Amino acid sequence: MKTRSAPSVTSPIKLATPNRWARTRYRHRHAIEAWIILIPILIYYIIFAVIPVIANVAISFTRWNGINAAPVWVGLQNYARYLQPPYPLILLNTAFFAVTILLVQTVLAFFIALLLNEKLFGRGAYRALWYIPTLTSAAIMAQLVTVFIAPYGGVVNNILQSLGRPPVIFTISGSWMRTVIIVFSIWRGVGGPVVLFLAALQSINPEVQEAAMVDGAGGWARIRTITLPLLRPMLVFVLVTGIIGAFQIFEAVQLISKGGPFNQTNVMLTQIYNDAFVNANFGVATAGATIMGLILLVSSYTVLRSMREEEG
Amino acid sequence: MNIRKPRWLRVSLHTILILGSIIMAYPLIFGAAASLITQADFIRSPWFPTSTAATLLNYRTLFFSADKFPLWVFNTLVRIVWFVVLPATVAVLCGYVFGRLRFRGREAAFMFLLGSMLVPGIVYQVPLFVMLARWPLAGGNNLLGQGGSGFINRWPALLIPGIVNVYYIFLLRQTFTTIPADYEEAARLDGANTFQILTRVYLPMLVPVLMVLVIFQSVNLWNDYLWPLITVSANSSVWPIGLGLQRIMAGSVPVRGMQGFNQPFIFTVATVATLPTVLLFLFFQRYFVEGVQGFGVKG
Repeated sequence: MKTRSAPSVTSPIKLATPNRWARTRYRHRHAIEAWIILIPILIYYIIFAVIPVIANVAISFTRWNGINAAPVWVGLQNYARYLQPPYPLILLNTAFFAVTILLVQTVLAFFIALLLNEKLFGRGAYRALWYIPTLTSAAIMAQLVTVFIAPYGGVVNNILQSLGRPPVIFTISGSWMRTVIIVFSIWRGVGGPVVLFLAALQSINPEVQEAAMVDGAGGWARIRTITLPLLRPMLVFVLVTGIIGAFQIFEAVQLISKGGPFNQTNVMLTQIYNDAFVNANFGVATAGATIMGLILLVSSYTVLRSMREEEG
Repeated sequence: MNIRKPRWLRVSLHTILILGSIIMAYPLIFGAAASLITQADFIRSPWFPTSTAATLLNYRTLFFSADKFPLWVFNTLVRIVWFVVLPATVAVLCGYVFGRLRFRGREAAFMFLLGSMLVPGIVYQVPLFVMLARWPLAGGNNLLGQGGSGFINRWPALLIPGIVNVYYIFLLRQTFTTIPADYEEAARLDGANTFQILTRVYLPMLVPVLMVLVIFQSVNLWNDYLWPLITVSANSSVWPIGLGLQRIMAGSVPVRGMQGFNQPFIFTVATVATLPTVLLFLFFQRYFVEGVQGFGVKG
C-alpha cells in the first residue's frame, strides 16, 4: 500500500510512472465493478419500485376498471371523491386510529422498557413474552378475535353468560369495535418498541444515572433529565416507523369489523383495497394510495422536525 | 445500578410485569389450550379451556382432512427459500458496493434505493397488481397485455416482486462498513478476485447478519397475507400458509368431516399458524433483537 499511495502525494515526477496507471486502473476497478453489480439491480428496482409509484399517481387521474379498455382522463375527480361521504369519515378514522395506537403504544412500550431495564429476575422471559405477539400473523389473530367477540358462543359472551350477564353484540357498536381494533393493534405492536427502547436504555452509561442519584435526583427527575434526552434518537425512530405502521392497519379492520358499523371503523387501507379489488375502481383506489403516501410523508417529516426543534 | 432495591419495590415491579405478561400471553395460551379439547368441553369451561381428557383430534383433522394444508406449507417453504436466496444475494452485493467500493455516484445510487422506504406499501400494490395482470404474453395475454389475466392467480405473482429488499441492503451496507479492509487487501495480494473475496472472505463473516435476514424473511413469509390475497386469492393451489389457514378459520375453505360450530378447531388452526414463528423466536432470540435494532441503533 505504501508504494502505491505515498509517491503520488509527495512527488509529481513519480506520477508519470506505471504506479499512477495502476492507481487509476484500481480506481476504475471500483466503478466498473460497482456498476456491473448495480445496473441489473437498479433496472429491477426501477421496474418494480419506481414505475409503480409513478403509475399510481398517473392512474389516480383516470377512471379505469383495471381490466380492459383504456383509462379515461378525469383530472382531479377521484381526489374530489375524498371530500364526499364516506371518505372524510374514513380519513378521520384512519387518523384517529393512528394517533391513538401510536401514542398509547409508545408510552406503554417506554414504561415497560423502563421496568425491564431494572435488574429483575426473569427479565429475558418477560421481554420474550412482550415480543411474541409481534411474531403472530395479523390475519390469523384478527380472525381469532372474531371467535372471542362472536355474539353467540363467543369466548367473551360465554364468560358473561357464566356470570349471569346478558350477552353483548360487539359488532353493532362503533365504540366497541374501535376499542377492539385499538387493543388488538397495540397487543401486536408494542413488542418491537419495547425491544428498541430497552436496547437504547441499556446503552446509557450507568455512571450517569449514579452521578445524578448522588446529586439527589429522584426517580422522576432522572427519567426527565437523563433518560428521555438520551433516548431521543430512539424515540424519533420509534415514532417515525410507528406512524407508518399505525396508518396502515388493515387486517384488524378487514377481518374483525369489516369497517362497520356504517363505516365507523373503516380506514384508508381497507377502502383502497375495496375500491380496487372489489369495486374495480382503480382511479379512486390509486388516488387514496397517493393521499396515504402524502399524509405519511408529511407526518414523518413533522415528527422529525419537531423533535429536532426541541433539541435546539 | 448497584444499589439493591427495597423489597416492596421489587415485589411491585414483578407484580406489574407478571400482570402485563399474563395479558399479553392470554390469547395465545387460551388458544393452545382450547386446541386440545372438544367443543362440548369448550362450552363447559368459559374462563379457560380445560378438559379431563386432552385430545389431538383437532390437529389430526387439520393435518389429514384439510386437503391443501401440506401444499400450503410446501408453497410457503418454496417462497422462503426463494426470498432468502435472492434478496440475500442482492443485499450482499449491494452491501459490498456501497460499503466497500469508492466510485462516483455511490451516495446518489444509495439514496435512490433508500427512497422507496418512504413510500408506504399500498402505493406499490395496486399498480403492481395491474402490471402483473397486464404482463405481455403471460397467462393468455397478447403482446399489449390484453385478453388474459397475466400472472394473476399464478406463481410468478408471488415470486417476482420483492427481490430487491432495501431494508436488507441497508443492513448489509452497515455490516460491511464495520469490517476492516485488511482482510480484502490480504486476499487481493494473494491474487483473489472479487467473486472469491465475496464468497470466501466476506460470506463467512456475514453469517450472523444473514441469519437475521433468514429469520425475518421466514416469519414475514409464513405470516404473509395481504399480497397473496390481492394477487392469488382465486387459486388455492398456490396459496401460502397464512392465507390458507385464515380462510379455513373464516370457514370459506371446506374441511372434510368438519361441520357446524367447532371453536376448538379454529383455535387449533390459529395455534398451528402461530407456533412455528414462536419456536423460531425462542431458538434464535438473539437474531431477532439484532434485527429489530438493525436500524434504530446502528442507523
